[in-house]
Amino acid sequence: MSNLSRRNLLKISALAAAATALGANQSDSNAPSWDGEYDVIVIGSGFAAHAAAVKSAMRGLSVLMVEKMGRVGGNSVINGGIFCVPLSPKQKAQGINDSRELFFKDTLKAGRNLNNPALLELIFSRANDALNLTLECGAEYRDFLEQSGGHSVPRGYKTSNGTGAGIIQPMQARFKSLPNTEVKTRTKFDKFITDDSGRVVGVEVRENYRFDNKLFDDDRENKSGDKKLYRAKKGVVLASGGFCADKVYRKLQEPLIPDNAQTTNHSGATAGAMLEAFRIGAYPVHVSHLQFGPWASPDEKGYGLASKFNVTASFRYGISVDKKTSKRYMNEIADRKTRADKMFEIIGKDENYPIHFCDSRPVKHMLKEQFDKLLASGALKRFDTLDALAAEYGLNASTLKQTVAQYNEYVKQGKDPDFGKILPKDGTDISVPPFYAMRGVPKLHHAMGGVAINNKAQVLSSITNEPIAGLYAAGEVTGGTHGASRLGSNAILDCLVCGMVAGENV
Amino acid sequence: MIKRVLCLLFCLACAGFASDELSVKYPLKPHHEHLALGCADCHENQGDEPSKFKAIGDKGCLSCHKSKKLLAKRLEFMDVLKANPHNSVHDGPTLYCDECHNEHKESTNMCLECHEHEVKEWMGVTP
Ligand SMILES: Cc1cc2nc3c(=O)[nH]c(=O)nc-3n(C[C@H](O)[C@H](O)[C@H](O)COP(=O)(O)OP(=O)(O)OC[C@H]3O[C@@H](n4cnc5c(N)ncnc54)[C@H](O)[C@@H]3O)c2cc1C
Repeated sequence: MSNLSRRNLLKISALAAAATALGANQSDSNAPSWDGEYDVIVIGSGFAAHAAAVKSAMRGLSVLMVEKMGRVGGNSVINGGIFCVPLSPKQKAQGINDSRELFFKDTLKAGRNLNNPALLELIFSRANDALNLTLECGAEYRDFLEQSGGHSVPRGYKTSNGTGAGIIQPMQARFKSLPNTEVKTRTKFDKFITDDSGRVVGVEVRENYRFDNKLFDDDRENKSGDKKLYRAKKGVVLASGGFCADKVYRKLQEPLIPDNAQTTNHSGATAGAMLEAFRIGAYPVHVSHLQFGPWASPDEKGYGLASKFNVTASFRYGISVDKKTSKRYMNEIADRKTRADKMFEIIGKDENYPIHFCDSRPVKHMLKEQFDKLLASGALKRFDTLDALAAEYGLNASTLKQTVAQYNEYVKQGKDPDFGKILPKDGTDISVPPFYAMRGVPKLHHAMGGVAINNKAQVLSSITNEPIAGLYAAGEVTGGTHGASRLGSNAILDCLVCGMVAGENV
Repeated sequence: MIKRVLCLLFCLACAGFASDELSVKYPLKPHHEHLALGCADCHENQGDEPSKFKAIGDKGCLSCHKSKKLLAKRLEFMDVLKANPHNSVHDGPTLYCDECHNEHKESTNMCLECHEHEVKEWMGVTP
């Protein structure tokens, strides 16, 4: 047995795992020859990975972080930096009344009651701990609290540089400053290595891996890199993110999604690592629920800056109209699924993109440089009058003005009988020129589904209905927390809390 | 300089074909060509068969270009827009050089993946 190849060893350990699961007694264990060993190995380098890595390193454990891309941070580092913290110090300071009941109500409504209550309870109850972990690492937030769609009250902490990098960079620095920590980028996780009992004891990776975004299906086509085996003495944390950029897997879930459909995600958001967890028995949950972000623009790629305008300004303080009717057609701050479905209805087959706009006041809540850049790019336009706005987009000017007048009346009365929108408490309506407007389109944004975990972030096995020993998961690669549709800003909350919990328990 | 001349000679002699052919197959960026760099200036101790040369990685680039922090500093004037590609708001001075810069083929600009329109306002073509 001594001259068995690595490949055979892996096969044997996989067989051994299966045999144990079937109750057979497999005594012969073949320890692979490891290229290195750590207490903990974290797969990925986003919020979930960083929370797990920092937390376990703070406990004195040796930690390896592996990231397949050249860049650290996945979706987290390009993210909008809005972090939902219910019952936060800033809410208290600003006199905002929030409660557990309200948070659950909002979240379950958006999630169509498919949310796993134990996981919801977890992210609610540990939100402030996660916030404190980021503060301890040096993250900074603005005072203005965002009210993302579907939230009854403002809950969104926003990083001071307006992106998730405001959390990732300080956490990465903190992680590197802790003893016995290592980050390997361009290192792709391929397989879990299990022992006779089915416990995850290490990973097979490829170093010097070059992700190739010209390939249709990088996970299967890309053969680059040098194989290495790393042992994880305490456990592996799977934090490989979502799969909205995986043309093959997303189409299996929703056949109508065209291959060239736009996504807000980074190109490495693929399903391979999650599928490997399914292969060793992790339960899949909600994998066919894909979320479209309703605030993007057809006039720029990816998430872009238009999304910031809509999230912070137009949807909350302005309106969206159908070009064909010059009228509103939805609650602009409903949950994402409600809005995306409505928008797709009117966009139809003839690319009838809706127009989102607000007046001059709300844009002051945007970061100035982001606003300036967006305007200069041409995706956002400025108009001195509603007539000019109507002319630009081919709207009917008099109907548009009626729509605006009606909406302004609703703001005054504090009630939107048409769509039930929560109207701005400060009375901001659409009346002070200039007006800012853009065309909108929903883009593929969040993979709701993934592996099932319990409230200790342990991955649950479909073979035993028990946790898979040595395997934890956190972040977008997990499923169930958000149900059918995640509320904006709840991803950072989920990723950080579950990552932190994985780091505490591993 | 002596090293460079020797390297050039070595490259010409050992590779067994004219430097013209080599430079067509493995063209250099104008700024590097201007310095009369030869293959072995970058592909040090990689033998004499150009087709087997390996990418030199950050360490190779930085053996002349010093450090990522220094490169970020040279483009500091772009920090105003938070669009210094060597010190971006997302990544700081951490990206691999060859995430964007290629020597023997066209370079790319990673910022374009999301900031299609703005990049034109921020910077020129990636050298
Ligand atoms: C543009 C954008 C804006 C957003 N804005 C917000 C916001 O303001 N608020 C909010 O709450 N949410 C937001 N979200 C959602 C949120 O950012 C993501 O859900 C979150 O970043 C996911 O974090 P993660 O740690 O699970 O995964 P990621 O941050 O995506 O990290 C996963 C990493 O794993 C790597 N990986 C994958 N497979 C492998 C493998 N086989 N081997 C090695 N590495 C691998 C990936 O390359 C990636 O770097 C936004 C998302 C996007 C795309």
